[in-house]
Amino acid sequence: MKKFALLFFLFCILHTYGQNTTIKGFVDVNTLYQDKKLSFNLGEQDLFINSELNDRFTFLGETVFKFSLQSPTTFDISIERIVMKYNFSGNHNIVLGKHHTPINYWNDTYHHGRVFFPTIGRPLLFEDNFIPLHTTGLGIQGQNLGDSRFGYDVLIGNGIGSNDFTDNDKAKSVTVAAHIKPIDNLRFGASFYHDDISAGAKIHDGHVLTHEVKQQLYSASVAYFGKKFEFLTEGTFARNNSDSTGGQNSIGMYAYTGVKLHEKFVPYVRFDFMDYAEEEIYFNKNDAVSIITGLRYVINYLAVVKLEYQYQDRKLTGSTSKVTAQVAIGF
Amino acid sequence: MVSVLVHAQDLPLTVVSNSKGAPEEMKFTSLKSVLRGEKLRWPDGTKITIALMKTNTPGGSSICRKIYNMSADELNKYWLALVFQGKGQAPVFFNSASELEAFIAQTPGAIGITTSTGGNTRTVSVDGKKTL
Repeated sequence: MKKFALLFFLFCILHTYGQNTTIKGFVDVNTLYQDKKLSFNLGEQDLFINSELNDRFTFLGETVFKFSLQSPTTFDISIERIVMKYNFSGNHNIVLGKHHTPINYWNDTYHHGRVFFPTIGRPLLFEDNFIPLHTTGLGIQGQNLGDSRFGYDVLIGNGIGSNDFTDNDKAKSVTVAAHIKPIDNLRFGASFYHDDISAGAKIHDGHVLTHEVKQQLYSASVAYFGKKFEFLTEGTFARNNSDSTGGQNSIGMYAYTGVKLHEKFVPYVRFDFMDYAEEEIYFNKNDAVSIITGLRYVINYLAVVKLEYQYQDRKLTGSTSKVTAQVAIGF
Repeated sequence: MVSVLVHAQDLPLTVVSNSKGAPEEMKFTSLKSVLRGEKLRWPDGTKITIALMKTNTPGGSSICRKIYNMSADELNKYWLALVFQGKGQAPVFFNSASELEAFIAQTPGAIGITTSTGGNTRTVSVDGKKTL
Protein backbone atom coordinates (compact mmCIF):
# COMPACT_ATOMS: atom_id res chain seq x y z
CA MET A 1 0.00 0.00 0.00
CA LYS A 2 2.85 2.37 0.91
CA LYS A 3 4.61 1.56 -2.38
CA PHE A 4 1.45 2.30 -4.29
CA ALA A 5 0.98 5.60 -2.48
CA LEU A 6 4.60 6.58 -3.22
CA LEU A 7 4.26 5.69 -6.90
CA PHE A 8 1.01 7.63 -7.10
CA PHE A 9 2.68 10.63 -5.44
CA LEU A 10 5.61 10.57 -7.89
CA PHE A 11 3.22 10.14 -10.82
CA CYS A 12 1.25 13.18 -9.69
CA ILE A 13 4.44 15.27 -9.35
CA LEU A 14 5.68 14.37 -12.81
CA HIS A 15 2.30 14.34 -14.51
CA THR A 16 1.06 17.69 -13.30
CA TYR A 17 4.28 19.59 -13.99
CA GLY A 18 6.08 20.00 -17.28
CA GLN A 19 9.39 18.45 -16.34
CA ASN A 20 12.31 20.59 -17.42
CA THR A 21 15.56 18.64 -17.92
CA THR A 22 18.93 19.92 -19.11
CA ILE A 23 21.82 17.66 -20.10
CA LYS A 24 25.29 19.10 -20.51
CA GLY A 25 28.81 17.74 -20.79
CA PHE A 26 32.33 18.95 -20.19
CA VAL A 27 35.66 17.49 -21.22
CA ASP A 28 39.32 18.46 -21.37
CA VAL A 29 42.41 17.29 -23.22
CA ASN A 30 45.88 18.07 -21.91
CA THR A 31 49.44 18.16 -23.17
CA LEU A 32 52.17 17.76 -20.58
CA TYR A 33 55.90 18.39 -20.89
CA GLN A 34 57.86 16.99 -17.97
CA ASP A 35 61.27 15.30 -17.58
CA LYS A 36 62.08 16.06 -21.24
CA LYS A 37 59.04 14.08 -22.37
CA LEU A 38 55.87 15.21 -24.07
CA SER A 39 52.61 13.40 -23.23
CA PHE A 40 49.04 13.85 -24.33
CA ASN A 41 46.32 12.91 -21.90
CA LEU A 42 42.57 12.86 -21.69
CA GLY A 43 41.06 14.61 -18.73
CA GLU A 44 37.67 13.87 -17.28
CA GLN A 45 34.48 13.68 -19.30
CA ASP A 46 31.80 15.12 -17.11
CA LEU A 47 28.11 14.50 -17.76
CA PHE A 48 25.50 16.67 -16.06
CA ILE A 49 21.79 16.27 -15.72
CA ASN A 50 19.72 18.99 -14.15
CA SER A 51 16.00 18.45 -13.82
CA GLU A 52 13.12 20.40 -12.34
CA LEU A 53 10.52 17.86 -11.17
CA ASN A 54 8.10 20.47 -9.91
CA ASP A 55 8.35 24.04 -8.68
CA ARG A 56 10.00 22.93 -5.42
CA PHE A 57 11.79 19.68 -6.20
CA THR A 58 14.94 19.55 -8.37
CA PHE A 59 17.61 17.00 -9.21
CA LEU A 60 21.25 17.42 -10.16
CA GLY A 61 23.39 14.53 -11.32
CA GLU A 62 27.10 14.63 -12.20
CA THR A 63 28.83 11.54 -13.59
CA VAL A 64 32.48 11.46 -14.57
CA PHE A 65 34.26 9.14 -17.00
CA LYS A 66 37.97 9.20 -16.26
CA PHE A 67 41.24 7.39 -16.74
CA SER A 68 41.99 4.70 -14.16
CA LEU A 69 44.77 2.12 -14.20
CA GLN A 70 42.73 -0.06 -11.85
CA SER A 71 40.00 -0.53 -14.42
CA PRO A 72 40.30 -3.30 -17.07
CA THR A 73 39.33 -0.74 -19.71
CA THR A 74 41.61 1.92 -18.13
CA PHE A 75 38.53 4.09 -17.66
CA ASP A 76 36.24 4.33 -14.66
CA ILE A 77 32.81 5.81 -14.19
CA SER A 78 32.21 7.65 -10.97
CA ILE A 79 29.15 9.37 -9.63
CA GLU A 80 30.41 12.67 -8.36
CA ARG A 81 27.11 14.21 -7.32
CA ILE A 82 23.51 13.21 -6.94
CA VAL A 83 21.66 16.03 -5.30
CA MET A 84 17.92 16.02 -4.68
CA LYS A 85 16.83 19.43 -3.52
CA TYR A 86 13.57 20.52 -1.96
CA ASN A 87 12.94 24.24 -1.72
CA PHE A 88 10.80 24.41 1.42
CA SER A 89 10.70 28.18 1.88
CA GLY A 90 12.09 31.27 0.15
CA ASN A 91 15.80 30.69 -0.45
CA HIS A 92 16.03 27.74 1.97
CA ASN A 93 16.46 24.18 0.73
CA ILE A 94 16.75 20.65 2.04
CA VAL A 95 19.36 18.66 0.11
CA LEU A 96 19.82 14.91 0.02
CA GLY A 97 22.35 12.77 -1.81
CA LYS A 98 26.03 12.97 -2.68
CA HIS A 99 27.38 16.50 -2.52
CA HIS A 100 30.56 18.44 -2.99
CA THR A 101 31.29 19.12 0.68
CA PRO A 102 30.60 22.86 1.01
CA ILE A 103 33.84 23.34 2.90
CA ASN A 104 35.34 26.09 0.77
CA TYR A 105 34.74 28.25 -2.28
CA TRP A 106 36.44 26.01 -4.86
CA ASN A 107 34.67 22.84 -3.84
CA ASP A 108 31.34 24.61 -3.56
CA THR A 109 31.66 26.51 -6.84
CA TYR A 110 33.53 24.38 -9.37
CA HIS A 111 32.59 20.91 -10.48
CA HIS A 112 34.65 18.60 -12.65
CA GLY A 113 34.20 20.68 -15.80
CA ARG A 114 37.61 22.28 -16.29
CA VAL A 115 36.21 25.01 -18.50
CA PHE A 116 35.30 26.93 -15.33
CA PHE A 117 38.54 26.37 -13.40
CA PRO A 118 40.73 29.47 -13.19
CA THR A 119 43.82 27.20 -13.43
CA ILE A 120 44.36 23.87 -15.20
CA GLY A 121 44.05 21.72 -12.10
CA ARG A 122 42.82 21.90 -8.55
CA PRO A 123 44.92 23.33 -5.72
CA LEU A 124 47.08 20.98 -3.62
CA LEU A 125 44.46 21.16 -0.85
CA PHE A 126 42.48 18.86 -3.14
CA GLU A 127 45.27 16.77 -4.66
CA ASP A 128 46.60 15.97 -1.17
CA ASN A 129 43.14 14.93 0.09
CA PHE A 130 43.50 17.54 2.79
CA ILE A 131 39.77 18.22 2.67
CA PRO A 132 36.89 15.79 2.12
CA LEU A 133 35.69 16.48 -1.42
CA HIS A 134 32.38 14.63 -1.22
CA THR A 135 29.82 13.94 1.44
CA THR A 136 26.88 11.62 1.06
CA GLY A 137 24.14 12.73 3.39
CA LEU A 138 21.41 15.16 4.29
CA GLY A 139 21.63 18.90 4.66
CA ILE A 140 19.95 22.23 4.79
CA GLN A 141 21.14 25.28 2.92
CA GLY A 142 20.18 28.89 2.34
CA GLN A 143 21.52 31.47 -0.06
CA ASN A 144 21.37 35.19 -0.80
CA LEU A 145 19.65 36.10 2.44
CA GLY A 146 19.43 39.78 3.36
CA ASP A 147 21.48 42.69 2.06
CA SER A 148 24.82 40.95 2.63
CA ARG A 149 23.59 37.92 0.66
CA PHE A 150 24.31 35.59 3.52
CA GLY A 151 24.42 31.89 2.75
CA TYR A 152 24.74 28.82 4.93
CA ASP A 153 25.11 25.04 4.66
CA VAL A 154 24.68 22.43 7.37
CA LEU A 155 25.44 18.93 6.14
CA ILE A 156 25.48 15.59 7.96
CA GLY A 157 27.02 12.69 6.11
CA ASN A 158 28.59 9.27 6.17
CA GLY A 159 32.05 10.70 6.75
CA ILE A 160 35.57 9.76 5.75
CA GLY A 161 36.21 6.05 5.28
CA SER A 162 32.62 5.44 4.20
CA ASN A 163 31.33 4.87 0.71
CA ASP A 164 28.18 6.01 -1.09
CA PHE A 165 26.32 2.89 -0.06
CA THR A 166 27.03 2.49 3.64
CA ASP A 167 28.72 4.19 6.56
CA ASN A 168 31.77 2.41 7.95
CA ASP A 169 31.00 3.50 11.50
CA LYS A 170 28.35 5.11 13.70
CA ALA A 171 29.90 8.56 13.64
CA LYS A 172 28.56 11.11 11.19
CA SER A 173 30.55 13.90 9.61
CA VAL A 174 29.24 17.41 10.21
CA THR A 175 29.92 20.39 7.96
CA VAL A 176 28.79 23.88 8.93
CA ALA A 177 29.58 26.66 6.46
CA ALA A 178 28.59 30.29 6.06
CA HIS A 179 29.40 33.01 3.57
CA ILE A 180 28.47 36.56 2.64
CA LYS A 181 28.57 38.39 -0.69
CA PRO A 182 28.60 42.07 0.31
CA ILE A 183 29.06 43.24 -3.29
CA ASP A 184 28.77 41.54 -6.67
CA ASN A 185 31.60 39.08 -7.38
CA LEU A 186 33.02 39.21 -3.83
CA ARG A 187 32.51 36.36 -1.39
CA PHE A 188 33.85 35.76 2.14
CA GLY A 189 33.37 32.27 3.54
CA ALA A 190 34.21 30.17 6.57
CA SER A 191 33.46 26.59 7.56
CA PHE A 192 33.90 23.94 10.21
CA TYR A 193 34.09 20.20 9.57
CA HIS A 194 34.13 17.43 12.15
CA ASP A 195 34.41 13.68 11.75
CA ASP A 196 35.43 10.72 13.89
CA ILE A 197 37.38 8.51 11.51
CA SER A 198 37.53 4.89 12.68
CA ALA A 199 40.64 2.77 12.91
CA GLY A 200 40.72 0.50 9.88
CA ALA A 201 39.00 3.04 7.65
CA LYS A 202 40.27 3.17 4.09
CA ILE A 203 41.24 6.77 3.48
CA HIS A 204 43.06 8.54 0.67
CA ASP A 205 45.01 6.46 -1.85
CA GLY A 206 43.74 3.22 -0.27
CA HIS A 207 45.77 3.88 2.88
CA VAL A 208 44.30 2.16 5.97
CA LEU A 209 44.12 4.22 9.13
CA THR A 210 45.78 2.46 12.07
CA HIS A 211 44.16 4.46 14.91
CA GLU A 212 40.92 6.34 15.29
CA VAL A 213 41.28 10.03 14.39
CA LYS A 214 38.96 12.80 15.46
CA GLN A 215 39.32 15.37 12.72
CA GLN A 216 38.37 19.02 12.83
CA LEU A 217 38.90 21.29 9.85
CA TYR A 218 38.59 25.07 10.06
CA SER A 219 38.51 26.77 6.65
CA ALA A 220 38.27 30.33 5.40
CA SER A 221 38.17 31.84 1.94
CA VAL A 222 38.03 35.14 0.08
CA ALA A 223 37.01 35.17 -3.57
CA TYR A 224 36.72 38.08 -5.97
CA PHE A 225 36.13 37.61 -9.69
CA GLY A 226 35.60 41.06 -11.16
CA LYS A 227 35.70 42.61 -14.60
CA LYS A 228 39.46 43.27 -14.48
CA PHE A 229 40.86 41.46 -11.51
CA GLU A 230 40.50 37.96 -10.04
CA PHE A 231 41.57 36.90 -6.58
CA LEU A 232 40.94 33.70 -4.65
CA THR A 233 42.60 32.51 -1.48
CA GLU A 234 41.61 29.71 0.84
CA GLY A 235 43.16 28.05 3.81
CA THR A 236 42.32 25.09 6.00
CA PHE A 237 43.66 24.40 9.46
CA ALA A 238 43.38 20.70 10.35
CA ARG A 239 43.52 19.32 13.85
CA ASN A 240 43.67 15.54 13.98
CA ASN A 241 43.42 13.91 17.40
CA SER A 242 44.33 10.30 18.04
CA ASP A 243 45.03 8.28 21.21
CA SER A 244 48.54 7.46 20.03
CA THR A 245 49.83 10.88 18.98
CA GLY A 246 47.48 13.39 20.58
CA GLY A 247 46.45 16.52 18.72
CA GLN A 248 48.36 17.30 15.52
CA ASN A 249 48.00 20.55 13.61
CA SER A 250 48.50 20.85 9.87
CA ILE A 251 47.74 23.65 7.47
CA GLY A 252 47.09 23.92 3.75
CA MET A 253 46.41 27.04 1.71
CA TYR A 254 46.61 28.57 -1.72
CA ALA A 255 46.30 32.00 -3.28
CA TYR A 256 45.36 32.70 -6.90
CA THR A 257 45.29 35.99 -8.74
CA GLY A 258 44.64 36.85 -12.37
CA VAL A 259 44.32 40.05 -14.38
CA LYS A 260 42.05 40.36 -17.39
CA LEU A 261 44.27 42.13 -19.90
CA HIS A 262 41.43 41.70 -22.33
CA GLU A 263 38.11 39.90 -22.03
CA LYS A 264 39.81 36.86 -23.55
CA PHE A 265 43.34 36.91 -22.05
CA VAL A 266 43.98 36.30 -18.36
CA PRO A 267 47.56 35.83 -17.13
CA TYR A 268 47.56 34.36 -13.63
CA VAL A 269 49.67 32.99 -10.78
CA ARG A 270 48.86 30.55 -7.99
CA PHE A 271 50.84 29.76 -4.88
CA ASP A 272 50.15 26.59 -2.85
CA PHE A 273 51.53 25.74 0.55
CA MET A 274 51.05 22.53 2.57
CA ASP A 275 52.58 22.02 6.01
CA TYR A 276 51.96 18.79 7.91
CA ALA A 277 52.64 18.02 11.56
CA GLU A 278 55.55 15.63 12.16
CA GLU A 279 53.47 13.19 14.25
CA GLU A 280 50.52 13.25 11.85
CA ILE A 281 49.01 9.80 11.16
CA TYR A 282 46.13 10.77 8.86
CA PHE A 283 47.84 12.80 6.12
CA ASN A 284 50.77 11.76 3.96
CA LYS A 285 53.07 14.39 5.52
CA ASN A 286 54.46 15.41 2.15
CA ASP A 287 54.99 19.12 2.79
CA ALA A 288 54.80 21.16 -0.37
CA VAL A 289 55.38 24.54 -1.92
CA SER A 290 54.12 25.10 -5.43
CA ILE A 291 54.13 28.06 -7.79
CA ILE A 292 52.08 28.19 -10.96
CA THR A 293 52.16 30.85 -13.61
CA GLY A 294 49.86 30.62 -16.58
CA LEU A 295 47.78 32.21 -19.29
CA ARG A 296 44.09 31.59 -19.91
CA TYR A 297 42.57 32.30 -23.29
CA VAL A 298 38.78 32.33 -23.40
CA ILE A 299 37.56 31.39 -26.87
CA ASN A 300 34.00 31.66 -25.61
CA TYR A 301 32.09 30.57 -22.50
CA LEU A 302 32.21 26.95 -23.65
CA ALA A 303 35.84 26.74 -24.75
CA VAL A 304 38.95 27.77 -22.82
CA VAL A 305 42.65 27.18 -23.50
CA LYS A 306 45.24 27.38 -20.70
CA LEU A 307 49.01 27.19 -20.70
CA GLU A 308 50.81 26.76 -17.39
CA TYR A 309 54.24 26.32 -15.85
CA GLN A 310 54.38 24.72 -12.40
CA TYR A 311 57.30 24.37 -10.03
CA GLN A 312 56.65 22.16 -7.02
CA ASP A 313 58.93 21.29 -4.13
CA ARG A 314 57.92 18.34 -1.95
CA LYS A 315 59.45 17.18 1.30
CA LEU A 316 59.32 13.48 0.36
CA THR A 317 59.46 13.50 -3.42
CA GLY A 318 61.71 16.48 -4.17
CA SER A 319 61.24 19.20 -6.71
CA THR A 320 59.54 18.94 -10.09
CA SER A 321 58.64 21.32 -12.83
CA LYS A 322 56.28 20.88 -15.75
CA VAL A 323 54.54 22.74 -18.53
CA THR A 324 50.92 21.87 -19.22
CA ALA A 325 48.49 23.00 -21.88
CA GLN A 326 44.79 22.30 -21.66
CA VAL A 327 41.82 22.68 -23.93
CA ALA A 328 38.58 22.49 -21.95
CA ILE A 329 35.13 22.63 -23.48
CA GLY A 330 31.48 22.37 -22.61
CA PHE A 331 29.11 20.66 -25.02
CA MET B 1 28.38 47.54 -37.87
CA VAL B 2 29.27 50.08 -35.20
CA SER B 3 25.99 51.90 -35.66
CA VAL B 4 24.09 48.63 -35.33
CA LEU B 5 25.88 47.86 -32.06
CA VAL B 6 25.26 51.32 -30.66
CA HIS B 7 21.62 51.05 -31.64
CA ALA B 8 21.38 47.62 -30.00
CA GLN B 9 22.84 48.93 -26.77
CA ASP B 10 20.40 51.81 -26.72
CA LEU B 11 17.22 49.76 -27.05
CA PRO B 12 14.71 50.73 -24.37
CA LEU B 13 13.82 47.80 -22.12
CA THR B 14 10.54 47.11 -20.38
CA VAL B 15 10.18 44.83 -17.37
CA VAL B 16 7.08 42.66 -17.68
CA SER B 17 5.60 40.03 -15.40
CA ASN B 18 2.77 37.62 -14.94
CA SER B 19 -0.01 39.00 -12.76
CA LYS B 20 0.81 36.40 -10.10
CA GLY B 21 3.93 36.83 -8.02
CA ALA B 22 5.89 39.90 -9.04
CA PRO B 23 5.06 43.30 -7.52
CA GLU B 24 3.93 46.16 -9.77
CA GLU B 25 6.87 48.33 -8.69
CA MET B 26 10.46 47.41 -7.93
CA LYS B 27 13.72 49.09 -7.14
CA PHE B 28 16.47 48.48 -9.67
CA THR B 29 18.64 46.75 -7.03
CA SER B 30 15.79 44.31 -6.26
CA LEU B 31 15.17 43.71 -9.96
CA LYS B 32 18.84 42.99 -10.53
CA SER B 33 18.89 40.58 -7.61
CA VAL B 34 15.85 38.73 -8.96
CA LEU B 35 17.25 38.59 -12.50
CA ARG B 36 20.59 37.26 -11.23
CA GLY B 37 18.71 34.30 -9.80
CA GLU B 38 19.38 35.34 -6.21
CA LYS B 39 15.73 35.09 -5.22
CA LEU B 40 13.88 31.83 -5.72
CA ARG B 41 10.35 32.94 -4.73
CA TRP B 42 8.18 36.03 -4.64
CA PRO B 43 6.83 37.17 -1.28
CA ASP B 44 3.55 35.30 -1.98
CA GLY B 45 5.52 32.04 -2.38
CA THR B 46 5.23 31.76 -6.16
CA LYS B 47 8.39 30.41 -7.80
CA ILE B 48 10.28 33.02 -9.80
CA THR B 49 10.80 32.15 -13.47
CA ILE B 50 13.08 34.45 -15.46
CA ALA B 51 12.48 35.07 -19.15
CA LEU B 52 15.09 36.81 -21.28
CA MET B 53 15.82 37.54 -24.91
CA LYS B 54 18.62 35.36 -26.31
CA THR B 55 21.98 37.02 -25.81
CA ASN B 56 22.66 37.08 -29.57
CA THR B 57 19.60 39.25 -30.25
CA PRO B 58 19.73 43.07 -30.07
CA GLY B 59 17.39 42.99 -27.07
CA GLY B 60 19.51 40.33 -25.36
CA SER B 61 22.62 42.42 -25.93
CA SER B 62 20.95 45.42 -24.27
CA ILE B 63 19.87 43.28 -21.33
CA CYS B 64 23.41 41.96 -20.83
CA ARG B 65 24.81 45.47 -20.66
CA LYS B 66 22.08 47.38 -18.86
CA ILE B 67 20.91 44.80 -16.33
CA TYR B 68 23.83 42.47 -15.78
CA ASN B 69 26.81 44.67 -16.72
CA MET B 70 28.19 41.62 -18.52
CA SER B 71 29.04 40.60 -22.06
CA ALA B 72 26.87 37.95 -23.72
CA ASP B 73 29.57 35.34 -23.08
CA GLU B 74 29.87 36.34 -19.44
CA LEU B 75 26.13 36.08 -18.94
CA ASN B 76 25.93 32.65 -20.57
CA LYS B 77 28.82 31.47 -18.40
CA TYR B 78 27.19 32.95 -15.30
CA TRP B 79 24.02 30.94 -15.80
CA LEU B 80 25.78 27.76 -16.83
CA ALA B 81 27.91 27.90 -13.70
CA LEU B 82 24.97 28.66 -11.41
CA VAL B 83 22.82 25.85 -12.78
CA PHE B 84 25.51 23.20 -12.53
CA GLN B 85 26.59 24.34 -9.10
CA GLY B 86 23.04 23.34 -8.21
CA LYS B 87 22.23 26.85 -7.02
CA GLY B 88 19.61 28.00 -9.47
CA GLN B 89 17.53 27.38 -12.55
CA ALA B 90 18.47 29.03 -15.83
CA PRO B 91 16.22 31.65 -17.42
CA VAL B 92 14.10 30.72 -20.39
CA PHE B 93 15.54 32.43 -23.47
CA PHE B 94 13.52 33.62 -26.46
CA ASN B 95 14.21 34.82 -29.99
CA SER B 96 11.44 37.41 -30.07
CA ALA B 97 9.66 39.77 -27.71
CA SER B 98 6.26 38.33 -28.66
CA GLU B 99 7.31 34.79 -27.71
CA LEU B 100 8.72 36.05 -24.42
CA GLU B 101 5.56 37.99 -23.60
CA ALA B 102 3.32 35.03 -24.44
CA PHE B 103 5.39 32.83 -22.11
CA ILE B 104 5.18 35.36 -19.28
CA ALA B 105 1.43 35.75 -19.71
CA GLN B 106 1.01 31.97 -19.30
CA THR B 107 3.50 31.37 -16.48
CA PRO B 108 2.66 32.33 -12.88
CA GLY B 109 5.67 33.94 -11.19
CA ALA B 110 7.37 34.79 -14.48
CA ILE B 111 9.28 38.04 -14.93
CA GLY B 112 11.23 39.15 -17.96
CA ILE B 113 12.64 41.95 -20.02
CA THR B 114 11.20 42.85 -23.38
CA THR B 115 12.06 45.36 -26.05
CA SER B 116 8.42 46.10 -26.89
CA THR B 117 5.86 47.92 -24.73
CA GLY B 118 4.75 44.73 -23.08
CA GLY B 119 1.66 43.61 -25.05
CA ASN B 120 -0.81 41.76 -22.84
CA THR B 121 1.59 41.33 -19.95
CA ARG B 122 1.79 43.52 -16.87
CA THR B 123 4.48 46.18 -16.90
CA VAL B 124 6.59 46.48 -13.77
CA SER B 125 7.85 49.97 -13.09
CA VAL B 126 11.44 50.19 -11.90
CA ASP B 127 12.45 53.11 -9.69
CA GLY B 128 9.23 54.75 -10.86
CA LYS B 129 10.02 54.38 -14.58
CA LYS B 130 8.24 52.24 -17.17
CA THR B 131 11.33 51.70 -19.31
CA LEU B 132 15.01 51.16 -18.55
